[in-house]
Amino acid sequence: MISKLWCSLAQARRRTDMARSRIAAATALFAGTLALCLTSGAPRACASDAPGWMHGLVNVPLPEHDDKTDAVLLYSEYVLSIQANGKMKSLQRVAYKILRVGGKRYGLVVVNFDAETKISALHGWCIPAQGKDYEVKDKDAIEASLGVANGELITDVRSKLLQIPAADPGNIVGYEVEQELRPYVLQDDWLFQRPIPTGEARYTLQLPPGWEYKAAWFNHAEIAPSSVGNNQWQWVVKNVPAVKGEKEMPPWRGVAEQMVLSVIPSGGSQNRGFQSWDDMGNWQAGLTRGRRDSSPEIKQKVAELTASAKTPVEKMKAIAAFAQREIRYVGIELGIGGYQPHAAKDVFAHRYGDCKDKATLVSTMLSEMGVESYYIVINAERDAVTPGMPPQIGIFNHLILAIKLPEGVSDPSLVAFMDDAKLGKLLIFDPTDEMTPFGQLRGALQANYGLLVTPSGGELVELPRLPSSLNTTERFAKLQLDAKGTLSGDVREVRRGDPAVYQRYVLQAAAQQSDKIKPIETLLSHSLGTFQITKATVGNLAQTNLPFVYDYSLVAENYAKPAGDLLLVRPRVMGYESRDLLETKEARKYAVEFAGPWKDSDTFEIALPAGYEVDDLPPPVNADYSFASYHSKAEVNGKTLKYTRTFEIKELSVPVSKVDELKKFYREIGNDERNTAVLKHSTN
Amino acid sequence: MLYRRVSLFLSIFCLCAVVRAPHRANADDWQPINPAELSMTSVPEAPGAAAVILYRQVDRDDNTDREYNYVRIKILTEEGRKYANVEIPFFKQSEDVHGLKARTIRPDGTIANFEGKPLEQMIVKAKGLKYMAKVIVLPDVQVGSIIEYRYNDQWNFSLVYNSQWILSNELFTKSAKFSLKPNSYFPMRTSWHGLPTGTAAPRNDKGVVRLETGNVPAFQIEDYMPPQNELKARVDFTYGESTESQPEKFWKSEGKKRNEGIEGFMGKRKAMEQAVAQIVSPSDTPEIKLQKIYARVQQVRNTGYEPEVSEQEKKRAKVKSINNVEDLWKNGYGSGGEITWLFLALARAAGLEAYPVLVSRRSEYFFTPQTMDSHRLNDNVVLVKLNGKDTYYDPGTLFTPFGILPWPETGVAGLRLDKDGGTWVTTTVPDSAVSRIERKADLRLTDQGSLEGKLTVTFAGLEALSMRLEMNNEDEAARKTYMENQVREFIPVSIEVELKNQPDWKSSAPTLVGEFEIKVQGWASGAGHRALIPVGLFSAPEKHVFEHASRVHPIYFDFPTARLDDVTIELPLDWKVNSMPPAHIDEGKVCAYSTKAENKQGTLHLTRKLSVEAITLETKYYGALRNFFQVVRTGDDQQIVVQPGASAAAN
Repeated sequence: MISKLWCSLAQARRRTDMARSRIAAATALFAGTLALCLTSGAPRACASDAPGWMHGLVNVPLPEHDDKTDAVLLYSEYVLSIQANGKMKSLQRVAYKILRVGGKRYGLVVVNFDAETKISALHGWCIPAQGKDYEVKDKDAIEASLGVANGELITDVRSKLLQIPAADPGNIVGYEVEQELRPYVLQDDWLFQRPIPTGEARYTLQLPPGWEYKAAWFNHAEIAPSSVGNNQWQWVVKNVPAVKGEKEMPPWRGVAEQMVLSVIPSGGSQNRGFQSWDDMGNWQAGLTRGRRDSSPEIKQKVAELTASAKTPVEKMKAIAAFAQREIRYVGIELGIGGYQPHAAKDVFAHRYGDCKDKATLVSTMLSEMGVESYYIVINAERDAVTPGMPPQIGIFNHLILAIKLPEGVSDPSLVAFMDDAKLGKLLIFDPTDEMTPFGQLRGALQANYGLLVTPSGGELVELPRLPSSLNTTERFAKLQLDAKGTLSGDVREVRRGDPAVYQRYVLQAAAQQSDKIKPIETLLSHSLGTFQITKATVGNLAQTNLPFVYDYSLVAENYAKPAGDLLLVRPRVMGYESRDLLETKEARKYAVEFAGPWKDSDTFEIALPAGYEVDDLPPPVNADYSFASYHSKAEVNGKTLKYTRTFEIKELSVPVSKVDELKKFYREIGNDERNTAVLKHSTN
Repeated sequence: MLYRRVSLFLSIFCLCAVVRAPHRANADDWQPINPAELSMTSVPEAPGAAAVILYRQVDRDDNTDREYNYVRIKILTEEGRKYANVEIPFFKQSEDVHGLKARTIRPDGTIANFEGKPLEQMIVKAKGLKYMAKVIVLPDVQVGSIIEYRYNDQWNFSLVYNSQWILSNELFTKSAKFSLKPNSYFPMRTSWHGLPTGTAAPRNDKGVVRLETGNVPAFQIEDYMPPQNELKARVDFTYGESTESQPEKFWKSEGKKRNEGIEGFMGKRKAMEQAVAQIVSPSDTPEIKLQKIYARVQQVRNTGYEPEVSEQEKKRAKVKSINNVEDLWKNGYGSGGEITWLFLALARAAGLEAYPVLVSRRSEYFFTPQTMDSHRLNDNVVLVKLNGKDTYYDPGTLFTPFGILPWPETGVAGLRLDKDGGTWVTTTVPDSAVSRIERKADLRLTDQGSLEGKLTVTFAGLEALSMRLEMNNEDEAARKTYMENQVREFIPVSIEVELKNQPDWKSSAPTLVGEFEIKVQGWASGAGHRALIPVGLFSAPEKHVFEHASRVHPIYFDFPTARLDDVTIELPLDWKVNSMPPAHIDEGKVCAYSTKAENKQGTLHLTRKLSVEAITLETKYYGALRNFFQVVRTGDDQQIVVQPGASAAAN
C-alpha cells in the first residue's frame, strides 16, 4: 500500500496548468486506447478455472446490503511474510460479487507499485453465473502513472490496471496479487472497512523467529489474533458494513475501521514499526538531517529581504512572503522523495519545490535570523488524523512549520499560536498556502492534528482553533427602491481570512481582466433574477495582509413585485447561508464537518419608494445552537427598510446526534431568506 | 490507403500534433531577446492574462518524419509561473524527442539555462505501447521572466499522418510561424477555419506550406458554446488518394465510391422482399409501411449500444460477421449503421423511394463540403420520399422515435447518394413542440406552507431519446434515481420525491413518462401576516443560465425544446387569495415565455410555457438572450399573496 506525497493542498490547487492539461488531454484520448485494450483486444482471457478459494465463495451468503449496493466484497485476504533480512512478501486475494451495473468497476484491478513495492504476480478471474470461468494475467495488464493525472508533475509510483472480463451483475470477480516489499518503515495498515459491505476479511502476518508485532485498532474494538503457525498470526473480521459517502462527512481515513501493525525485529534494528509518535518524529528528523543547511546565497537573500525590516516580525513576514510568492509549487515525488525534502540550497537555487521543500527553505532562512522552527507533518483535511490513532506515515499528506518566536516578540497580526509543553509558544505557518497571511491559519488546518517533529523526537499535537471573527464576510448595501420595483445602489463586501483567500484564488485563476467580475455575477445570480452590475472594483487583491474588498453598484429591475396595491420586497437582498445537505431520504451516519470557523454578516438598507410605507414585516429569527447561530431582523427606520443578519459557525463538527438540529437550523435560515416585506401606499 | 492503416494511432497523433511540438533540424539558436518583451508587464490585447505566448514556431516535415517546436512565453502574474513546468508527451517505441533545450530569461535580462536532463515520466504502458512525457521544470521563474524551450520530435512509424495546426491556445499568442513540408508520395489537402483577423491563408512556398499569424486570442470555454473544433482557429492537413481540388468533383467521385459500397451491402433484393412481406401488408399506406418497417428493424439487436466486452466474451458469444443486409436479417443483430441500411433496403423492397444519406454529426464539427474531408461524413440516415416530402430516419440509433433524427444529425448537410455520386441535402430540425418536457402537478398546500401531491412529467421527442440513451445500460434502481434527480433539478428548493410508475425505458415511443409523489418543504414564504406562493415551481433550470454579462462565443443549443407546465394547488380551506400576479406573455421568434396564474375558488391554476427554437445564435444576440432569461426569472419569481387561515396562524 503505497502512499507518499505530503502535498495534497498544492496539488489540488494546481491541476489546471497548461502543460498538465496537455498531458491530461492526451491521456484522455489515450484512455480510448486503454478502453480498447482493457475491454477487447488486450486481455485475451483464457478459460482457466478460477482458484478454489474463489469457487468456495459461490454459495456463501452475501453480507448485509441495500438495493443501492453495486457490489459486495465477499472475501479479502492479505498475507504478509517478513524475512529475517527485513524483506517482505505480500499476497492479496480479493473477490467481489457484482450486484448492479455500477459494480462493473470492481472488475478493474488497480495495484500501485514502485521500486520498493514490486509486483511479482498478478492474476484475475471471473466466475460467471453461467458458463466457464475467465482468467487474465499480469501480461494483460497495462501500466499507468495515475499520480500524473492527479496533479503531480513527476512521480515514480505507477499502477497496474487489469480488467477482469464479464464483471457483470450476478458474477464473481476476484484477483490475486503478490508483491515484494522493501518498506521504509516496518509497518502496515489494514483498512478492512470499505465503501461496500465486506463478508469476510483476513490479515495474516508471518514473522521470522524472535520478531514481534504490535497491533493497534482504530474505530473498531481490538481483536485477538489466532496463531496459525510458527510465529504466524491471523486476524479475521466478518460482516463489516460499508462506509457510505455523505456530503461533508469526516475523511474516510478518519472513520473507517482499521488496524495498524508495527513490526519489531529482533536485535534492535533501527528499521522498525513506529511504537510511538516519538519514534515517528525521530524517523522524520533523520530524513531531514542536513537538509536545512544554509548556503552563502541563502544568507545573502535573508540579509536582502530583512534589510529594511524594522522588527523581527517584519523580518519573518518578509521571509514568509518570499517563500509563499517566489518559490513556486512543483511536486516531484521520487522514491523516498515522497517523504524527504530537497536541500534548502537546491530549493532556493531552483526557486521551486513541494510543501516539504518550501517548509525546509523557510526554516533555513528563519534560522539565519536566529529563529528556530520545527516541521509539522499533517493531513490537509481535518479529522483524517485523530488523537486515538496509532502513529503511521500513511495518514499524512502535507508538511508545514511551527515557528518558535524569539522572547518578547509579539504582534497582533500573529494569531495562529499553539502552546507546547516543551517548546513553548509556537506560531503555525504553511508556506505552501500562498494566500493566507503569515500569522494566520486556514480553516482546514485549525484544530487539526499533526506530528510536531522536534530535535528530541515528536508528538501528536492539536493545532490552534482561531476565533470565527477572523474568517468573515461582511456585506453592506445601501440601496434605493423605486415604485416600479427597481432596486439600485452600492454594495461593499469585505472578506477576511478564508473567504478572502478563496476569492483571491478565484480571481488569480481568471484568464483575463473581464473574468474578474464573474464571481460577483455568480453570487448575485443566486439571489437576483434580473441585475446589471454598473460598476465594480476589487480592493487589496494582492495585499494578502489586508481584507479583500469588493465594491460594486447594481441595478435590479423588477426586484420588488407588485401584488395588487401592494409591493413585495425581500429584505434579504443577496447571499445565502441555508444548505440542503441534510435534506436526504437516508438517515445521516456521520458527523457534518465545517470548513472552518466563520462569521458572516449582512446589512441591507433599502430606501423605500416615495408614496409607500411598510405594511408588514417578516418576524426576526434568533436561532442559537451549540454549533452555530443565526440572527436576523427586518425593521423600519423612517423611510428605510433595514435588514441585518449574522451567521456564525461556532463548532467545527456537528455530531450525528445533533444533525436534526442542524437540519432545523438550515430550514429556519431558508425560510428567513425567502421571507418578504409588504409595502403599501402610504396614507399620508 | 497507407495513411489510414493505423487509424487508432491517427486519432492519437492528431491530438499530439495539437499539443506538442514540431521539428526542424537546423534551428539551433534562440530567437533574439527583445528589450520590449523583457520590460513588458501586460499585453493590451490580453488584459489580465497570467502569461502570453510571445512566439511559437512549428516546422514539420512529413518526408523525414520530424517536427521542430519552439515556444517563448512571457510570465505576467504569479499564476502564470505554472507554464514553466513543461511536459512533452510521446510514444516511446516510435518517437524520439531530442534536442530539448530550455531557459529562463530573468526580467533583468540575465539567463538561467535549464541544465539538467529532462525526466521521463511514464504515463501509460500497454501491449507494445508506451506513452511517456519528457518533463522539465524551468528554474528561477518569476513574474516578468520569459521562458522558452525548443525540441525536435522524430517518429518512425513509416506512415504518413494527417496533422493540424491549432492556432488557438489557452494563452494569447502574439506571434507564430508554422510550416509543413508534405510527404511527396501522397496527395495532401489543406483546409483552414476561423483564422484570426489579419492572418493570411496558408501559402505554398516552393513545396512547403507556410502560415504566419499573430494576436491570436486566448481560447475561452463558455456554457452553451458550439463544438470547440468549430471555434478554434486551425489548419488541417489531410492525406488522401484524390488530388481533386474542386469540391463538386471530389464529392461526386467520393459519393460514387460510397454508394457502391452501400448498394453492395444492400444488394439482397429477394431476401429483402421476403422479409418485408412478413412486416407489411400490401394494403398499408406508404406511411404505415414505413412505420412498420421502422418498428421491426428497431427490434434487431443493436450491438453498437452494448457494453464493451473482452475478446474472450466475444468469442464465446460466437458473433458472426455481417457482410450484407441478408446476414443481418438472418442473424438478428448488427451495428447501428448496418441497421439503418437494413431499414433502407426493406423500405425499397416495400416499394418506397428511399436513399442512403451520409451526414456529419454537428456535435463534433459543423460540416462544409468545401473541406473535402470524407471522414467527417461520419453517420448515416435514410431519406424517404413520403407524400412528396423528404423525410429522414435513423433507426440505427437506439430508441430514436419514428420521424425524428438524433439531435447531432438534425439540421446538417448530408450527401444523398446515388450512382452518379449524389446531391447535397439538409436534414430537418424538429421544432420545440416535438422535443418538450411537460410537467403536470396536482398539489395541495399544507398549513405549514409545504406542497404535496402528484406530478407527472412527460419527456417527449429528443428529450426522451437523450434520457433513454443515457440510461440504456443502467438498472432499474439507477433509472429511478436518475428520474427523481431530474425532478429535483426542476424545483429551486430541496424536495422529497418518489417515482411511482415504471417508465418505458426500452422503447422508441415518442414520450417517456414519469409519475411522482412530491413534497416541497416550505414553498410558501412568510410576509408578516400574509404568505406568498411563487408561481415558478419548475423554475430551477433557468435560475443561472447566462448569468455573465460578457460573451465571446456564439450560443449553441443542441436542439429546439420547450417546457410546458400545468400546476394546480389546492389551498387550505380557510386560506384566502389576496392577489394574483398578472399574466405574462413574451413571444419572440427565437424564444417564447408565458405564465398565467388563476384562482378557481381556492384552487390555484398556474401555467407556464418556455420555448427556445434556435440552435445557434450569433454572439451579438447574447445580450438579448440574456435579457430574455432575466425576464423569465422575473416572471417565475412572481408571487401570489394569500391570507393564511386560523389553523396556519396556530402553527
